[in-house]
Amino acid sequence: MVYDERSDDYSIKTINLAKSFRKKRHKGVFGFLKRGNEKEKSETTDVTVALDNVNLGVRTGELFGLLGPNGAGKTTLVKCLSTILIPDDGTAIINGFDIRRQTTLVRASLGMVIGGERTLYWKLTARDNLMYFASLYKMPRKRIKERVDELLGTMNLLDRADERLEDYSTGMRQKVAIARALLHDPPVLLLDEPTLGLDPTFSRQIRNQIRELSRKEGKTVLLATHYMKEADELCDRIAIINEGKIVAVDTSDQLKAMVKETELVEVICYNPPQNVEEYLKALCPDVEIITLIRGEEAKGTPSRIKLIGGNAEKRISTVIDALRKKNTQITSLNISMPTLEDVFIKLTGAKLTEGSMGAGQ
Amino acid sequence: MGSSETYSFKANLFIIWSEVVKNIKFMMAYPVIFVFWTIFPFFWFLPFIFQCQAFVGGLHSANFEQFTGTSDYIPFIVIGAILNGYVLTSLYGVGESMRREAYRGTLDYLLSSPSNKAFILIGKALSESIKSTMYAAIQFVVGILVFGIYVTIEIIMPIVLIIFLLILGLYGIALMLAAVSLQFKQAHDLAHTLEYVFYVFTPVRYPLQSLPFWAQVLGSFLPLTYALIAVRSLMLLKQNVLAVYQEIFLLLVVDVVAIFLGFYLFDWMEKKTKSSGSISHY
Amino acid sequence: MKRKGKEFREPKKFLCPYGFTLANLKAEMRAIWENNVKEWKIEFTYPLSFIRQSVEPLIFLLPFIVYGLVLIGGRYSDSLMSLVGTGDIVTYIFTGYIIMGFIGTSVWAMGFGIRKEQWYGTFESIYVTPTSRISLVLGMALHSVVHQGISVFFEFLVIYAIFGLALRIEGILPALGILALMMLALCGFGLFVSSLALVLKEGWIISEGLYSVLMILSPVAYPLTVLPSIAQQMSKVFPTAPALIGMRSFLIENYTPEVMGNVFLHLLALDLAWIIFGVMIFYATDVYIRKRGTLGKY
Repeated sequence: MVYDERSDDYSIKTINLAKSFRKKRHKGVFGFLKRGNEKEKSETTDVTVALDNVNLGVRTGELFGLLGPNGAGKTTLVKCLSTILIPDDGTAIINGFDIRRQTTLVRASLGMVIGGERTLYWKLTARDNLMYFASLYKMPRKRIKERVDELLGTMNLLDRADERLEDYSTGMRQKVAIARALLHDPPVLLLDEPTLGLDPTFSRQIRNQIRELSRKEGKTVLLATHYMKEADELCDRIAIINEGKIVAVDTSDQLKAMVKETELVEVICYNPPQNVEEYLKALCPDVEIITLIRGEEAKGTPSRIKLIGGNAEKRISTVIDALRKKNTQITSLNISMPTLEDVFIKLTGAKLTEGSMGAGQ
Repeated sequence: MGSSETYSFKANLFIIWSEVVKNIKFMMAYPVIFVFWTIFPFFWFLPFIFQCQAFVGGLHSANFEQFTGTSDYIPFIVIGAILNGYVLTSLYGVGESMRREAYRGTLDYLLSSPSNKAFILIGKALSESIKSTMYAAIQFVVGILVFGIYVTIEIIMPIVLIIFLLILGLYGIALMLAAVSLQFKQAHDLAHTLEYVFYVFTPVRYPLQSLPFWAQVLGSFLPLTYALIAVRSLMLLKQNVLAVYQEIFLLLVVDVVAIFLGFYLFDWMEKKTKSSGSISHY
Repeated sequence: MKRKGKEFREPKKFLCPYGFTLANLKAEMRAIWENNVKEWKIEFTYPLSFIRQSVEPLIFLLPFIVYGLVLIGGRYSDSLMSLVGTGDIVTYIFTGYIIMGFIGTSVWAMGFGIRKEQWYGTFESIYVTPTSRISLVLGMALHSVVHQGISVFFEFLVIYAIFGLALRIEGILPALGILALMMLALCGFGLFVSSLALVLKEGWIISEGLYSVLMILSPVAYPLTVLPSIAQQMSKVFPTAPALIGMRSFLIENYTPEVMGNVFLHLLALDLAWIIFGVMIFYATDVYIRKRGTLGKY
């Protein structure tokens, strides 16, 4: 059971939330004039299941992580919760309001930060942007000015508040975006990849801010991210999502406990053979998952081969011999604490992220 | 000029050709836009036809004849609208395609390639002209069938020649526009302003003589003025090509000046842009 | 799960004014105003663009006048006199052309208000606020109406200086009243166009097409009696035709109570019909795109 039906202490609760998309060729106004064969093509629609009966409960005041690779359904879930999308089936309750029927109150309960560059007006100053959005959140006029100053102060932006955003750095713009989400002091925050594309310094600042919002101000935060380090570091509980399904929900420690230390071997190497996964699998059939995470070897980032589950540890010598035979240069070997990445691989068989990105920033 | 450094004339022709092919492919991908540009010019001059019916109470205006030699105003404005189409596509075609490249992020790449950028622009403009000619051809056919435009075999070639010369002159002006847009972000506004100048100071809707003297002088610098007078003389006044040699000659002079200025300005601006580095300001 | 000594709060129930209350109406009105202010702020970062757009209508007005003068060989048309009771073509065209900018308000400013936010990338951010999308579009309309007002004033100055205009000063206020009634219906129409622009990729063609069609179906430079009868019938569903008849009655002195009564009733009926139709289509489109998930695209 992901949440307790009787408990009233959930600020976000999804009930059998489902959403799929039809991919249809866009034909335009006079599309019917197009040739027949194209028409036939366009009628074969692909259905992508973005959310598959998602049941989640985020407790009031909790910092909740939604971890999954790009395309797993994180953004779709956030968009459904924020009323940008109407789900096909099921619903969600936010701050006690139904996203289908009480859209205005849901919107008023939410502060939202979407990753990406252009969610604010670059031609306006930070102050103008915040004043404008404050009025869209229907804040009382008297309150707006002091609240904007207060937030600009918290974000350390007061001295540049009257500069246009086009002259800001990406990280500073993201701070303004976070300030905007806090304008109306919403009880629930939805953050979709808030550190995407930021440099490490700004990422750290933003993460600290998120932590403070949760710890000090008691906001309920749903943080969708594909950086496992971010989820690991910040979140009280983490839901792992893959292909529209929630595959596990628990604290970071509990999730990691799902992978026993003896079950995890990581071989750091250069030049692993083609089809290394099948090759090793044939040699060690009792290891549950063998997966290769390719590094950018030319740039000095080694590749990593992960062996998870079963008797991974007992197979080390077999693996080393086999790799040597194929001229793989092994630089080190870890039999270490599992990470969320390992949990993800164990649960889904898929990789969380390609290459070194998964390590976070 | 940049072409003398590394690239031969043949290579430049190839650049133009590839631009044309690329843009025609884009056009094929958006048939709606093609249909739009063919049909809508008719909507833009229809009000002028109804206006005349209300003001003179018929299809002929005696006063109009004093200025233009024909009392039949409908073919007059139909021809004006068709040729004005070339102005719109040249100005916006070049300007917009620069913006499009900037949006796609390919502008910097284009400008840093070793080929002469003016030729890339000509390639863009040429594909716009091919489109315009397709629209114009359809519109001429409609004009002949519906609006009583007169055409004989003998005047077709001279009209093609005049339109060709018109296009050349417009290229010169479009190049100047592109040159300025390398430095200034608001090229779009400039394109609009040029469109207005063409619309008001050339005989698109009314004969040039109806304007004050200073406006006539301004109009005499624009290639569309001569093209309109010449085409109308052939099609409406049923004159032969010898009667319009003066207009054709003046059109040629305007073309040479405009193209020279266009290339010169573009080359100069490009060097200036490279040294000050304001290309990626978009 | 109360680890790290966290205090959990009760959900807040009062968040913002909503529903059919005075406080909510005030909040929505302020949102309309702030949208308008925002548009002006953005516009003034491109001063050249502002000047161009203010002068633009004049450029398209002049050819109508010059062409008319050439056709007649003077500014008085006997034919027009017999059709509408006034022969001064300059005044006739100027009073007709006033409305063109306001048609632009509905098909361009309103029609593309939301699309513009999609291009900026700000649409989703606006969407998740509790303010109605209609207030956003109306904010755009307000900005555009002020813009058109500036343009009309400018046109007036130039045309008055070059040709002179025979307008009744005391007719200006009631003519503005008629203009306001026309704007209400055009706002409904604008919401409809805005919905089309959201659903169709080639929305600009719709706007350009509607603009051209409305230009033909409105008595801007000619009375509708010169149109084919089917076009005359079609013109009745748009507010521009009765509005122009009414405005000219006040501005060019052939005011009769029966005509004005008809104009007034016709406009009121169109206001009601277009607003209801526009709002319904707008909300239906809103649901449609939220189901399809194309909101933030383009």
